[in-house]
Amino acid sequence: MIRFEQVSKIYPGGQKALTEVNFHLQRGEMAFLTGHSGAGKSTLLKLITVIERASAGKVYINGHDIAHIKRQHVPYLRRQIGMIFQNHHLLMDRSVFDNVALPLVIEGFSLGEIRKRVAGALDMVGLYGKERHYPIMLSGGEQQRVGIARAIVNKPALLLADEPTGNLDPKLSMDILRLFETFNDAGTSVLIATHDLGLIARMKYRTLTLRQGRMIGGEADIVESLSD
Amino acid sequence: MSPSSLTRSKLPLSGRIVMFFIRHIQHATASMGELWRTPVSSIMTMAVLGVSLSLPAALQVLVKNVENITHSWSSAAQISLFIDGSRSEQSIQSLIARIKVYPEISDIKYITRAQALAEFQQQSGFGDALSYLDENPLPAVVIVTPSSRYSTPVGARELLAKLEQEPEVSFGRLDIEWLEKLQALVNVLERTVFGLAALLILAVVLVIGNTIRLAIMNRRNEIEVMKLVGATEAFIQRPFLYTGIWYGVIGGTLAWLIINLLVWFLSGAVTTFIGLYGSNMQLQSLSFSELLQMVCAASFLGWLGSYLSVRQHLRAIEPS
Repeated sequence: MIRFEQVSKIYPGGQKALTEVNFHLQRGEMAFLTGHSGAGKSTLLKLITVIERASAGKVYINGHDIAHIKRQHVPYLRRQIGMIFQNHHLLMDRSVFDNVALPLVIEGFSLGEIRKRVAGALDMVGLYGKERHYPIMLSGGEQQRVGIARAIVNKPALLLADEPTGNLDPKLSMDILRLFETFNDAGTSVLIATHDLGLIARMKYRTLTLRQGRMIGGEADIVESLSD
Repeated sequence: MSPSSLTRSKLPLSGRIVMFFIRHIQHATASMGELWRTPVSSIMTMAVLGVSLSLPAALQVLVKNVENITHSWSSAAQISLFIDGSRSEQSIQSLIARIKVYPEISDIKYITRAQALAEFQQQSGFGDALSYLDENPLPAVVIVTPSSRYSTPVGARELLAKLEQEPEVSFGRLDIEWLEKLQALVNVLERTVFGLAALLILAVVLVIGNTIRLAIMNRRNEIEVMKLVGATEAFIQRPFLYTGIWYGVIGGTLAWLIINLLVWFLSGAVTTFIGLYGSNMQLQSLSFSELLQMVCAASFLGWLGSYLSVRQHLRAIEPS
């Protein structure tokens, strides 16, 4: 689903964010991406969503090299990736319904279809019946779940989450992770960036660790060699 | 996943085409609603556009009316043919018969030597002095009025040259200098109007561009989120383009209204003024078809202004 080959990223100004990163996330796999702040987790996610482009190496999404993807193709790539952010990136002046419906509106679904899918997505995250609320009226955990509903409403093949539990207490964090597990069970590939090591320890999934821009621990390589 | 599968939509083609039009209508109405929600700033912008557009339109009305006047004057251009004094009355009549069939000529007036003398005596004030002359010194004159196509300075001059070829004609005169001056003046006026109109139109484009730029900045956060969830630039820019078009449509209509009010306000005074010159011409205003033209032109300008702004500023907003 995601494959990095010798990927490096140097920001303008010379700051090295990633150095020769290799890893492979299987289709249908769920994995954690960890590391200290500044280790390059966010940069790695930005390369997958083409918010940033790699300075060297190759990034494959679904077997397609996106390092040199044309600018006008980027939106179509992003439609296949559900993204969840720590600060949820919700539109505060729009209702929950409008927020969740946004990817469907962009894709061009009819209103009837949009209603059906938004209701389904909100049901999954446990916010059924809150369509008409505004994000400001919801708690932090609920806002995060609106963001998740927006990410899954278009049934993407890949879910990326950047510190999805950053602002939540352990109980809510666990709920959110369970939610990701259900999506994963349904066949979606999931990559979760987090520095909450306690959370990861309680789960059985593969962990990719970044330290100062390098992927460390042989685990990734082992899995990759097994899959090849 | 092949490159084509990357850009493939999840909807069938027919559904996408239908939704394309539905989205356009939705965006058009939504951007109208957006303007409605901030009435004060929207009205201010539209008023600026209306006034800016009304100036070129007013100049257009001015040129239209001046052309109307000069057109009625230019038909007054006449050619005087002075007949060789040795020619008999019979040969003069045959000349008149010959040139009457010229397609360039709309009217001919013949003044005999006797008539010319009588007129001269009456108008010049030399009446008594003339009676001392043994012989009538004045030649017979044929006054030719060219048809409308040949009443322009160039055309009339051509016709004069042709008529001077006639053996009976000793020479001809065309009093056209004033007409040339008038036409030169109208030319200057037209150029001025064109230059001013170009400047004002540029102003309209810039005003709309700037307004749209502010709208984009206000919705920066929303644009970032839309880009994150996979909106194309065409999708994001569409509401802004419609906003620009709406500004143009309403600004253009406003300008048309301003012009009609202005003409209505002026028409009484102008009619009196023209009446003093013995004409009963009416001041012309802008017609309904010109309203449509103005609205179309203005909405194009609105689109252009917002397009330029959107091109420049939407690209700069990227999620980070």
